[in-house]
Amino acid sequence: MDIIVATIINGILMGGVYGLTAMGLTLIFGVMKVINFAHGSFLMAAMFVTYYLFRITGIDPYAGLVIIVPLLFALGYFTQHVLIRPVFKIERDVREPISVLMLTAGLWIFMDAFALALFGAFYKTIRTPYKGTVLHLGDVIISLPRLYAFLTTVILAILFYLFLKKTRLGKAIRATGQDRDAARLMGINIDRIYNVAFGIGIAIVGVAGAVLMPFYYVHPVVGVVFDIRAFIIVVLGGLGSIPGALLGGVIIGVVESLVAQFITATWTEGIIYAIFISVLFLRPEGLFGFKAEW
Amino acid sequence: MEKERTHAKTWEIDRIAWVTLVSIVILLVFPLFIRSPAFLQFMILILWYAYLTTSWNLVGGFAGVLPLGHATFAGIGAYTSSVLFVHYGLTPWVGMFAGALLAAIVGVILGAPTFRLRGAYFALATIAICESLRVVLENIQKFPFLGFDINGARGILLPLRGHSPINYQFLDKRYFYYIILVMLAIIFYITYRIARSKLGYYLVAGGEEKEAAEALGINVAKCKLIAMAISTFFTALGGTFYMQLVHYIYPRGIVSLDLSFEIAFIAIIGGRGTLLGPIVGAILLVPAAELTRTYLGGSYEGVHLMLYGAVLMAVMVFKPRGLMEPLEAFYRWVSGKFFPQPLLQTEKGS
Repeated sequence: MDIIVATIINGILMGGVYGLTAMGLTLIFGVMKVINFAHGSFLMAAMFVTYYLFRITGIDPYAGLVIIVPLLFALGYFTQHVLIRPVFKIERDVREPISVLMLTAGLWIFMDAFALALFGAFYKTIRTPYKGTVLHLGDVIISLPRLYAFLTTVILAILFYLFLKKTRLGKAIRATGQDRDAARLMGINIDRIYNVAFGIGIAIVGVAGAVLMPFYYVHPVVGVVFDIRAFIIVVLGGLGSIPGALLGGVIIGVVESLVAQFITATWTEGIIYAIFISVLFLRPEGLFGFKAEW
Repeated sequence: MEKERTHAKTWEIDRIAWVTLVSIVILLVFPLFIRSPAFLQFMILILWYAYLTTSWNLVGGFAGVLPLGHATFAGIGAYTSSVLFVHYGLTPWVGMFAGALLAAIVGVILGAPTFRLRGAYFALATIAICESLRVVLENIQKFPFLGFDINGARGILLPLRGHSPINYQFLDKRYFYYIILVMLAIIFYITYRIARSKLGYYLVAGGEEKEAAEALGINVAKCKLIAMAISTFFTALGGTFYMQLVHYIYPRGIVSLDLSFEIAFIAIIGGRGTLLGPIVGAILLVPAAELTRTYLGGSYEGVHLMLYGAVLMAVMVFKPRGLMEPLEAFYRWVSGKFFPQPLLQTEKGS
């Protein structure tokens, strides 16, 4: 019984991080109607930044957020501005431009292979003081780094939600997502909103990368694991929905940890794909029917 | 005037026919003078990628969707023919058609629900299908009910029979060269015919404006499924070819996202939806990728993909329709320089 509870709690905590990566993806999709295939690669980049920050200067991943978040925001902002914007311009009338899809797929492959050439294929971990520390709740053991990561996720999700609902910029972002032509007519600078939205999406993934490092490992293709989960989560939760992303993340996390505990770890991927494909075919609008906030 | 114009036209067609004839002769003859198996292998790989990409192009190019999991079908082909050969002694010459049929059936079954999905969803579904087949293959040691083993992640090793044409095994690489050349010619001819048939026009129409095409009475879904069946059928034959060439497959080696992306990227870079685009893409990219693989990727699998990613991004930013467009313009410019007479007449005539 305790094992089941512990497994589920573990799954929920890990699922929070999955939800965080998915949140960035869902924001970018909601606003630009583009699936950012390179999302996991940005996560990988954030993890490497966190790793080297810790190894070279000894800055803790959580303190390092001060550096990582602006850095990743800038990376996202300029990726959109330099690479995606010109391609977007050509297909402005198309609702979901396929060439942007191909561009981000190219970026994904490029970043992963580049990291492989740069850092090698080894798994890298860091040893923070709280690594391996646990919290005892009766007989249930909870890993503290995972708990911290989950709490960060929840706080960030609330902040992000408030940002979108209350601030002027947030409203402009949502308006652009709802109808880009109407938004333009209202005097919103669409190109800038796209840059900012992409930047924020990548910054969120940067937070995910930083809070993952204390209990996870980084290697050049670590992004693929999270990428594919993030795709699945946004489809589960309904593309463009933030609560959906979090809830979808938790579901995937729990399923994954239950399967790993009670069947075998090698089948986890297969079962997650099976869920994904069945949701795509049976309920492409998402499991819970959350309306996208755009 | 009319006569001059037809004259110019036949002259132009004559020239294209000559260029084609000369390149075919070169392609046919040159292996006779090549002694280096490494170089032949290199040529075979270029042709193999051109073949797979041309097959992909039927769906990814003409039907206007973005399949990112075509390695699935290469894997089905390779595994089916190998299992039939290893366990039932059936020659891969027959087994490859069994694999191809199976792939076509799977392709249609998977295509029916996926083609309803829009852009990104479709691409994601194909990725998921490819990855799940890999996971299944990696986790199955012994196939249920039929009782033959596929060894999970370790893969299948082909029992060697030496030089045995009946078993699709050759010691000399040149046989493989000619086989893949013929296969490429066949798929190229099929694509050529489809592009000029009703089906081809229906596909392009359905890919660009689905609703409009349906309003005109075109059964878009059916056209896409036919394209999918042909595409997957030939992709599977390519899978068997690869197996016979290297004698060994394991799930990650063939049913991989890497191969799926390579196939799609080559076509997109060359020019999806064009006849020659995939072949041009393969000629430009595969040698460069092989060189990167040799000199940079000695220890790591996948470094050569850096090049694919970078070139793809550059092409998307500068020439979103692929490299065929500038190449065609260049060809016209060159032929205008060297053979100005007939071209000028064509312009005057029209």
